[in-house]
Amino acid sequence: MQIFLNIVSAALVAIFVQNLVLERALGANVLLYASRNKTHCIGFAVAITYVTTVSSPLVWVLDTLLGENEYYGIFMPILYVLVIAFIYIVSLVVIWRFFPPLFRSLKKYVHLSVFNCSVIGSLFLCSQQGGDIFTYIGYGFGTGVGFLLAAYLLYVAADRLNSSLVPAAFRGYPIMIVYVGILSLALYAFTGYTTSAV
Amino acid sequence: MESRINPRDGFIKQNMIFMSGMLIAPVIACATSFVKSLALCFVFSLVSFAAILLCRFIPRTIVYTIRVTLYTAAAAAVYIPVAALARILFGEAVIGAAGVYLPILVTNSLILSKTETRFYLEPYANMVSDVLGFIAGFDIACLMTGLVRELLATGKIAGAEVPILFTVPALETTFGGFLFVGIGAGLFRAVYNYRKAHADADDEDSLADYAEGMGEFLVGKHRHEEREKIRIYKAAVKRARTENDWLDMEFLNNKDVLAAFEAIINEGNELVGADEGSGDENADETADDSGTLTENSESTGVTEDNDNADIS
Repeated sequence: MQIFLNIVSAALVAIFVQNLVLERALGANVLLYASRNKTHCIGFAVAITYVTTVSSPLVWVLDTLLGENEYYGIFMPILYVLVIAFIYIVSLVVIWRFFPPLFRSLKKYVHLSVFNCSVIGSLFLCSQQGGDIFTYIGYGFGTGVGFLLAAYLLYVAADRLNSSLVPAAFRGYPIMIVYVGILSLALYAFTGYTTSAV
Repeated sequence: MESRINPRDGFIKQNMIFMSGMLIAPVIACATSFVKSLALCFVFSLVSFAAILLCRFIPRTIVYTIRVTLYTAAAAAVYIPVAALARILFGEAVIGAAGVYLPILVTNSLILSKTETRFYLEPYANMVSDVLGFIAGFDIACLMTGLVRELLATGKIAGAEVPILFTVPALETTFGGFLFVGIGAGLFRAVYNYRKAHADADDEDSLADYAEGMGEFLVGKHRHEEREKIRIYKAAVKRARTENDWLDMEFLNNKDVLAAFEAIINEGNELVGADEGSGDENADETADDSGTLTENSESTGVTEDNDNADIS
């Protein structure tokens, strides 16, 4: 029961309190691409959720074994990249071998959804968050679901944000970023905010 | 054929922060002060530049699905000495405050996607200047963002007090960053569009001249022999298709140039039609080629127009 609660609470924190995109801005550019249509939206979110959830136990092992090392921070990116690459290649080989139609539909953008700052960023956040292996798994899963939430919120507004009602210079990317900023502001209601300003 | 890619594109036209949004997460969340922006630019510049130069030597015979892992691994390897140097230069406090936003730069889209769609299609020397243009564009935009946000949020520049009438502390937050970058991008594009609208009027003549010159080269070089003309036309179409990136951006978005190309294609088709009578067995293939060129040309232009979100 405690394990389940750890996973659920870590996931809820990752979805609503420390949302990957809205609170950390990680994967903001991926979000713009993913929100173009529903297939991309779900496809990217599933890929990100899968990689972060499966990678997080391996990251926990690395953190536990090497976390005390003075230079671990410098070597973290390459270790995490190797973890992601391992998961990515093994998964692709399995899908290619047993689900060829799925592989054909995935191969166009699977690399985009795996090698981006949202995936590696979420693993760094897992590490920052700390906790046991189940917390890592819950947090990894939650970051992917949090991405889906942000991507869907942007997807449903995308048509209006790209309409001719928006001034030409702001149409598309600029107004979408402003919109994500307003969503981010709304999410701050869960946590409040403090600044270093007097 | 000489590359038509403008090495200054990355500086303004495809600025990574204000125009294409290729790398905005670190700027939104981390560029809240001048010093942090400087650290961000330092790490980004060195990691991206070195990784792109190194990855050029990765054989393109390896499929991209796998090659992308090598690109990321190379960037992560370059990050190790760069991060150590950054700690010495900026101190533990600044690097610590930058948090996860420095290491995530190893997966930036300049390394992962722009290399494939642009840099590695150019000769090495052109690529270096092109990459430097993109990096400089990012660095200047990032430093300006950090400077203005620090000034408006805290009334300081690089830690030094500046007497201003009011502060906007929310600019230090993530949502403040989103709003700042979004509004900044809109204003940047407005200025760019305004300048482009005025510049286009001057450029149209020269582009049309260029297209006319191309037409002469493609169709008229060997006037003495029609069959040779067709052969050159076919070769040119094939070349244009394989060097699709060369047929780029402003060049293909220009109506005069498109019209000139259509004229070339029509002339080619007419020649092919005339040649069919004389029994050219490849005539149909030529007609197909011309159609494909037109489609490719249009789609390239549209894609470039809508290319607002590369992936990192």
